[in-house]
Amino acid sequence: MGLESPFVPYLATLKTAIQLTPDIKLLNVELEDPDIRANFDYKPGQFALLSAFGEGEAPFGIVSLSLQKDGLEFAVRRIGTVTRALQELEPGDTLGVRGPFGNCFPLEDYVRKNIIVIGGGIGMAPLRPVINRILERRNDYKELLIINGARTPQDLVFQPEFPAWMKAPGTKLELTVDRGDEDWKGRVALVPDVVKELAPSPDSAIAIICGPPIMIRFTLARLRDLGFKDNQIVTTLEAKMKCGLGKCARCNLGEKYVCQDGPVFTLEQISQFLEQP
Amino acid sequence: MNLFASKDDLIRWIGELLKEHIVIAPVQVQEQTLFQPISKAEEVVFDFNNTTLSPKGWFLPPTETLFSVQKDDGKVELVPTQVERDAVIFGLHPCDARGIALMDKPFLEEPSDTLYRERRNRTALIGLACRQAQPECFCTSMGSAPDDPSNVDILLTEVEDGYIVQVVTEKGKTLLPKGLAEYKGKVPAPPELKAVPTREVISAMRELFNDPYWEQVADRCLHCNICAYVCPTCYCFDMRDYADKGKVERVRSWESCQSPGFSLTAGGYDPRTTKGERLRQRFYHKLFYFPEQFQDVACVGCGRCVRDCPVNIDIREVISNLQQVTEAKSGS
Ligand SMILES: Cc1cc2nc3c(=O)[nH]c(=O)nc-3n(C[C@H](O)[C@H](O)[C@H](O)COP(=O)(O)OP(=O)(O)OC[C@H]3O[C@@H](n4cnc5c(N)ncnc54)[C@H](O)[C@@H]3O)c2cc1C
Ligand code: SF4
Ligand code: SF4
Ligand code: FES
Repeated sequence: MGLESPFVPYLATLKTAIQLTPDIKLLNVELEDPDIRANFDYKPGQFALLSAFGEGEAPFGIVSLSLQKDGLEFAVRRIGTVTRALQELEPGDTLGVRGPFGNCFPLEDYVRKNIIVIGGGIGMAPLRPVINRILERRNDYKELLIINGARTPQDLVFQPEFPAWMKAPGTKLELTVDRGDEDWKGRVALVPDVVKELAPSPDSAIAIICGPPIMIRFTLARLRDLGFKDNQIVTTLEAKMKCGLGKCARCNLGEKYVCQDGPVFTLEQISQFLEQP
Repeated sequence: MNLFASKDDLIRWIGELLKEHIVIAPVQVQEQTLFQPISKAEEVVFDFNNTTLSPKGWFLPPTETLFSVQKDDGKVELVPTQVERDAVIFGLHPCDARGIALMDKPFLEEPSDTLYRERRNRTALIGLACRQAQPECFCTSMGSAPDDPSNVDILLTEVEDGYIVQVVTEKGKTLLPKGLAEYKGKVPAPPELKAVPTREVISAMRELFNDPYWEQVADRCLHCNICAYVCPTCYCFDMRDYADKGKVERVRSWESCQSPGFSLTAGGYDPRTTKGERLRQRFYHKLFYFPEQFQDVACVGCGRCVRDCPVNIDIREVISNLQQVTEAKSGS
């Protein structure tokens, strides 16, 4: 028959698994077939479906940058069956990868703009490649403000990269937690309040937000208060997904299929959906 | 050119087809008429109301293995399901044939579903025109007709002493038995059906989304999913892994947007928590999203959901009610 079924994943090997927070692991995954590996091109914001064979398949943002020499990276938060099974894999174990799927953050359109990246909890996952791509092409963009929130200091996701982000020119990293601990000297505040306090200017700016729905809702309101227009606010939509191919209809929201048309949308686009998320 | 076959000719023909094909035809199983693979021509039922389930299950089975995971010395191999044999679906009504043509749109759109496509390419459709309509039929309001030949390879129409054999496609030609005479008689007129205001409602759907009508009509829905399972055009599916005695398979099976939790994400967020939101999704997918995406309504008017819904949620009535709501709105 020759043609491959779009439901059959590529086989891949788990190279490393680093515990980033108590419930999030960074998985580094290498596709087995060298040809597929060499051509697996993707953009910040795109996702893949990972298979833990025997348990199932689930979507995850690809948090590395395309055609990096050292494999594909995923930040997986343990929450249910598939995520638990993925976290239990040992280096050398086989898993499946389908993708890349979905649209991406149109970073080329944001050149010469100020970028505000706002992430809560595991919502930082799709934002990590955005930050790292901007830092890789630092001169293409103006100021970069990163606001990263989590429940507790331990839950802040990409801590090993914080020093590099802080040191980068024209870049500010603002951390905040809902609840501190003895060692925490930073902010204890909710993300929307931090946005209000820092009051980034909407002039020639794009705000990219990802996090739990409640954080997104209140952050949007603060950004609008600051004068951000709906076409300056970009987010990713959460949806239940199965096929990733626009066929199973699980991620259907109004006229859109989040797996194909999304997951990245501007607030302006979302406000025009017949069915509101 | 139309040909003629007596009932005996048809039985002999089905017998011929069985030599090289899997033949799926309506058969009587207790109280139900179902499309099933047959082993001899005599099993076929010619005179039937729409079958309990549509023949979509041949292309999108209620459950099927997409691939199995094989482990050899720790090395993993994924073995996709293959389509082994050519098939013929015999005796499907024009509405069901249109249902298949509509399912083609999402499944054959690139990246196409290879398993579906392979089954589709290797299956011929021999249709049977409806000489009588059932009270729940409304195919003529949904782009088809009791004598519609457009989605089959051959269409049979019953006449007094046998069947008119109308060859529609080249594929159909290759299936014909030898020696059928030309049919020179009249082609009987199809039955007349009551119309439903589909067109009017489709153009008003955008404005009806937030109408309280949806919660009202859905109040009695039991989310039993029968409407979706009997429907020739409902195609939502689920995918899961099954592991049994070391054998691991990825299985897909029918699902429905009427199931509570259908759109619930792991994070706990769900865009459709009420019955009204879920029932609205069923009708919007059929009457608005599918037409926006593929330029056709995703209903063929077979009447199965009308017949089988335990609480009588009737799509014809829903469409008529929506028209009334629209008229009331524009009138006030
Ligand atoms: C585009 C996209 C990108 C994503 N990127 C990431 C990422 O980078 N990192 C990440 O960690 N996650 C990401 N996610 C989320 C991730 O896909 C989910 O966390 C994952 O699918 C969970 O799968 P699971 O099998 O572990 O959970 P499940 O076992 O499916 O369920 C998780 C939770 O839901 C509950 N639950 C399940 N079914 C029901 C039900 N019927 N009723 C009530 N409760 C139920 C379970 O009890 C459990 O608490 C992304 C999602 C999308 C759509
Ligand atoms: S058949 Fe009727 S009761 Fe069952 S899910 Fe469909 S509309 Fe609801
Ligand atoms: S919605 Fe009802 S009438 Fe329309 S095709 Fe499906 S089962 Fe038949
Ligand atoms: S996940 Fe199947 S259609 Fe989007």
